[in-house]
Amino acid sequence: MSKFVRETYTVDGVKTVVHTAGSGEPVVFFHGAGTVDGFDFAEPWTEKYRVIVPYHPGFGESGDDTTFTDLHDYVMHYLELFDALQLDKFNLVGLSLGGYLAAKFASEHGHRIKKLALIAPAGMIDTLNPMLDILAVPGEQVPGLLVSDFEVLKKRLPEKPDLDFMADRYREATTVARLLWERPGDPKFMRYLHRIKMPTLIVWGGEDKIIPVQQAETWRKFIPNADIKIFKGAGHLVHLEKREAVEAVARFLG
Amino acid sequence: MSGALRFNSMHFMPYVYLPDNHKDYKSLWVSFPNKFYDPEKGHELYNRYLGELVMADRLGFDAIVINEHHNTVYSMMATPNLIAAALVPQTQNARICVWGTPPNFMQPNRLAEEYAILDVMSKGRLEIALPLGTGMEYWSNSVNPATARERFKESLKIMLQAWTEDGPTTHYGQFYTYRFLNPWPRPYQKPHPPCYVVGTGSPETIEIAAELGFGYASVFVTQQRARELNENLRQRAAHYGHTLRPDQLPLLTFVYVAETQERAEQEYIVHLQRFFEDYARTSPQFLAPPGYLSIDQLKTRAAMADKMHGGFDFQAISKSFFIAVGTPDKVANQIGEWSQWMKTNHINCVTHVADMPHWKTVKNLTLFAEEVMPRLRSRVQQPALRAAAE
Repeated sequence: MSKFVRETYTVDGVKTVVHTAGSGEPVVFFHGAGTVDGFDFAEPWTEKYRVIVPYHPGFGESGDDTTFTDLHDYVMHYLELFDALQLDKFNLVGLSLGGYLAAKFASEHGHRIKKLALIAPAGMIDTLNPMLDILAVPGEQVPGLLVSDFEVLKKRLPEKPDLDFMADRYREATTVARLLWERPGDPKFMRYLHRIKMPTLIVWGGEDKIIPVQQAETWRKFIPNADIKIFKGAGHLVHLEKREAVEAVARFLG
Repeated sequence: MSGALRFNSMHFMPYVYLPDNHKDYKSLWVSFPNKFYDPEKGHELYNRYLGELVMADRLGFDAIVINEHHNTVYSMMATPNLIAAALVPQTQNARICVWGTPPNFMQPNRLAEEYAILDVMSKGRLEIALPLGTGMEYWSNSVNPATARERFKESLKIMLQAWTEDGPTTHYGQFYTYRFLNPWPRPYQKPHPPCYVVGTGSPETIEIAAELGFGYASVFVTQQRARELNENLRQRAAHYGHTLRPDQLPLLTFVYVAETQERAEQEYIVHLQRFFEDYARTSPQFLAPPGYLSIDQLKTRAAMADKMHGGFDFQAISKSFFIAVGTPDKVANQIGEWSQWMKTNHINCVTHVADMPHWKTVKNLTLFAEEVMPRLRSRVQQPALRAAAE
């Protein structure tokens, strides 16, 4: 059984579900554009940390807010949630779209972030190593692109076509479309990344088919103090495929 | 309008020179490579199709209908107002129905202007349908499907304001800002050309039509669903204080007329089959871009698509959709029955499908105009229809 405790908050009218486990210094985890990967991978962190995993509005167990049309709406949402959770200073880990959001939050509110870990973060406009436009990929092809070893993901997917599962993914894709359909990349985001001064770790799967691993170096150009850890043989969901990646984040947090 | 029947001739203007390997492609929309488009053949097709629409006017059809789709062999009318502009000087009596350009894919003031120009040029023969646009169009145009419905409503508001209020006026909205909304020319018809919302009957679009008192042109829905949709729309329109006339609820039907039932089926079915299997072929991804459907609608449609698996079956499809194929008597009888059952006097006939050759189109148009229309018109003032019209 999961150690995580589920709590529901209402943040500016939006139902926000937060799962928490462990005790110690707080670590907030921002999930990516889909929530199929779950967060049991983070259990090793709970031995030393209080791990806090909120579902973003429009994803997983949290409610919808159709007025969220910009990533900045999520930054504001989290400022309010962190007030409610009485989190002043904390570690922040973000995966993929959650990495984009974590970097944006850190560039605006750096004084609140002790350490920042970005796992295959989205958001970088890198014309030489562009991110795959996942919105344009047929749904049935997406799972195969997320990992190198499909077995890792297979157990989290329904065995046969499942209307509810499909509807859940469609809802999350709708939330992503509201944010990114017209403008998958925002040059202004990159412009302010130099404000990220806290210790930062960039984690990537060496065989990422969604966001090329070469982007890790591009991120370092914007965040000079960042360390990079690459895990060969892993795809986009490196945290599911390589336990070492989860352990590397734990070591970085200290 | 009284109970008199009205007949439209609708054309999709498909590109019919499909490559031999087209079955290798899951979708002939959105991503079907445009290297397969040959402009010389396209030129011939435009000439031919424009001729078929002009012929419908000369044969006495009350209206000719065109519409808009993108990135597809299904339709060569990416910008139907250009086609309408070509039709205006070549036609005399028929109303010209652009059913229509999705307002989301144009600046709304510009669409209001184009429609006004067509209406003035044609001396008030224009009719308009206002589609949200299929899911496929949102992959082909740079507009967010997740905010499509809000944008659509705002576009409609701007267009109606442009047509009905003396300018200059202003508009400050979520998607558009107009400091001087003051389009020249203004529509010939007052307050504006007849408007229909067009769609497959999602509750959201029905509500939009009902609130504005517009007609609703349902497309590719089953007979049963079309009837429910009409009933639903009448009720919702009444809720907003509008009484819909029968002619505001056109009945879309495929038609093919020949000397005998056997000959009609022999000449027509192959093209209808290609229409459904090839020209309309697309993928679930393209049908439902993220946010285009509500979660409820997505589930409903996915469940419906599961039921529709299997090959093309003319008898089955004829029972479920409005498809009138056969002798003049048979086609007239079917349309007569359907119009009463649907409480409408407005029959929107798809007179050409898929790769139907010119001679069959001419034959179909001619037999329908000369044999079917008189049969139906001689039954004017059918009691049910008269009641519905009053």
